[in-house]
Amino acid sequence: MEEQNNFGGVNPGEQPEPGAQPAPSVQPAPAASPRGAALWLKIIAGLYALSLIAALAVINRADAVRKSKPKDLDLSKLTGIGQSKKDAVAVIPIYGAISQGNSSRSWERGSQQIAKRITALAGKKEVKAIVLDINSPGGTVGAVQEIYSAILKAKAETKKPFIARFGEVSASGGYYVAAACDQIIAQPGTITGSIGVIFSVGNFEGLMKKVGFRSEVIKSGKFKDIGSASREMTPEERKLLQAMIDDSYDQFVTAVSAGRKMPADQVKLLADGRIYTGRQGLEVKLVDSLGDLQDAIDKAGELGGLGKNPRVLTDSDPFENFLSLMDSKLSLFGAKSVFDSVSPAASLEYHWYGK
Amino acid sequence: MNTFVALETIINKPELLAGAERPEGLGRTGLLGYFSGTLGLFVFLRIFSAVPPGVMSFSMVLLLVLAANFFFASAIHLFMDLTGVKGSASRLFLAFGCSDYFLALLVPLAFFAKLHILNGFLWFCLCLLLIIYARVRLVRRLYPVSVNKALLSVWLPYAGFSVVFFAVCVYSLAWLIWLVI
Repeated sequence: MEEQNNFGGVNPGEQPEPGAQPAPSVQPAPAASPRGAALWLKIIAGLYALSLIAALAVINRADAVRKSKPKDLDLSKLTGIGQSKKDAVAVIPIYGAISQGNSSRSWERGSQQIAKRITALAGKKEVKAIVLDINSPGGTVGAVQEIYSAILKAKAETKKPFIARFGEVSASGGYYVAAACDQIIAQPGTITGSIGVIFSVGNFEGLMKKVGFRSEVIKSGKFKDIGSASREMTPEERKLLQAMIDDSYDQFVTAVSAGRKMPADQVKLLADGRIYTGRQGLEVKLVDSLGDLQDAIDKAGELGGLGKNPRVLTDSDPFENFLSLMDSKLSLFGAKSVFDSVSPAASLEYHWYGK
Repeated sequence: MNTFVALETIINKPELLAGAERPEGLGRTGLLGYFSGTLGLFVFLRIFSAVPPGVMSFSMVLLLVLAANFFFASAIHLFMDLTGVKGSASRLFLAFGCSDYFLALLVPLAFFAKLHILNGFLWFCLCLLLIIYARVRLVRRLYPVSVNKALLSVWLPYAGFSVVFFAVCVYSLAWLIWLVI
């Protein structure tokens, strides 16, 4: 790609070859504005240089101000990184029905994840007390007990105070979890109580007959399909399930009795499945005091030796929150949760079926 | 030859770009165009804190600009060659460098944007349109083609980039949905 310049003109020192025909004299093309463009280019280049200098000066100045900022600030007044090691009260939300997650996704709010968060936050040196912000009607027995036992273990290992705060509803399993805490703070109108166990199963036998569907069951023992929705429950099964319910109920009563330091007989009087408002709960000693989340945080601060209005460490990771949001919005566009709620599968629950 | 003189010659006699011999100083002028254009772009982005400071950061931007323009020039030349139009790819690359002088405008325009006279992105888009217009004119000088074909050839790589970017975005979104479900 050897290319010659065509602006160089004829070299003055170069002699024409002998015998060569004389080159026709090149007439210079008349320029419209001989040095106009060059002048403008020089002016533009000058302005460009000036604006560059001005811009660089502005950028340097801005960078210098940005660099000097942290030195002038009092880090103790900042939240976040600057204060990350300061003592705090951790707040863990427990919202909605409590159940074991369907997967090991870290952003899911299943009982394993909540138990893991309780253990992790209780193990942090800067966390001096933990507030459980409960707004739950309960859930399955196993899932509720998983959280309950995580609280008891964390308390035994770290001796840190746990405060339960009730929002709109904290009944049945929600109360079971709170029973493990040192203090319970509820709103006067919070729905709580519902101490009891429930086992419910749908019966689609009539419907299945109408549509001509029949379920064939081959089982190893007579109770293997206990809780089946395709047939009537037998008296023997009912007796067996009642015994199971009684045992789970006894576990609930024991947990409340131990947590609230009340005799089991006294708890049984309150534990017929009825619900209470927060104020009624205070009268029957199921609740320690009335208040809101800030009151609960203040109480936790006092018990943790931080005084009122302590720093709050929220249990939230922006990335996990985003994934959780994506998951809830995109998981069959919410169809899964609808399916779960109408599922006829039987389960043993510490659950209150109100709103 | 002085860069100013070379640039002046290209402005006054653009037909020389398609001549048998390469205009003197075109290489130097084109590369200096890339450098000063990138410097303008870099300062513009620095004023909006969109890029990190330092020589390394500027070098990365310059490398990106050179690579993108190399790709653009080669894609346009390939398109022209496939459609039976002859021309020089190296001259096209250097001529594009000359059009990048317009990016120097971004420095004063950044001040205007900071003074809330139009949005910074709009100024950038206007500058980009100016460069594309200049490039269309240059392509017409370097290859004997119509305005429409020159316009098509200049827009083609940009459109290609946009399509690839859009496809990557769609794929990423689909992947993310697949990941969470």
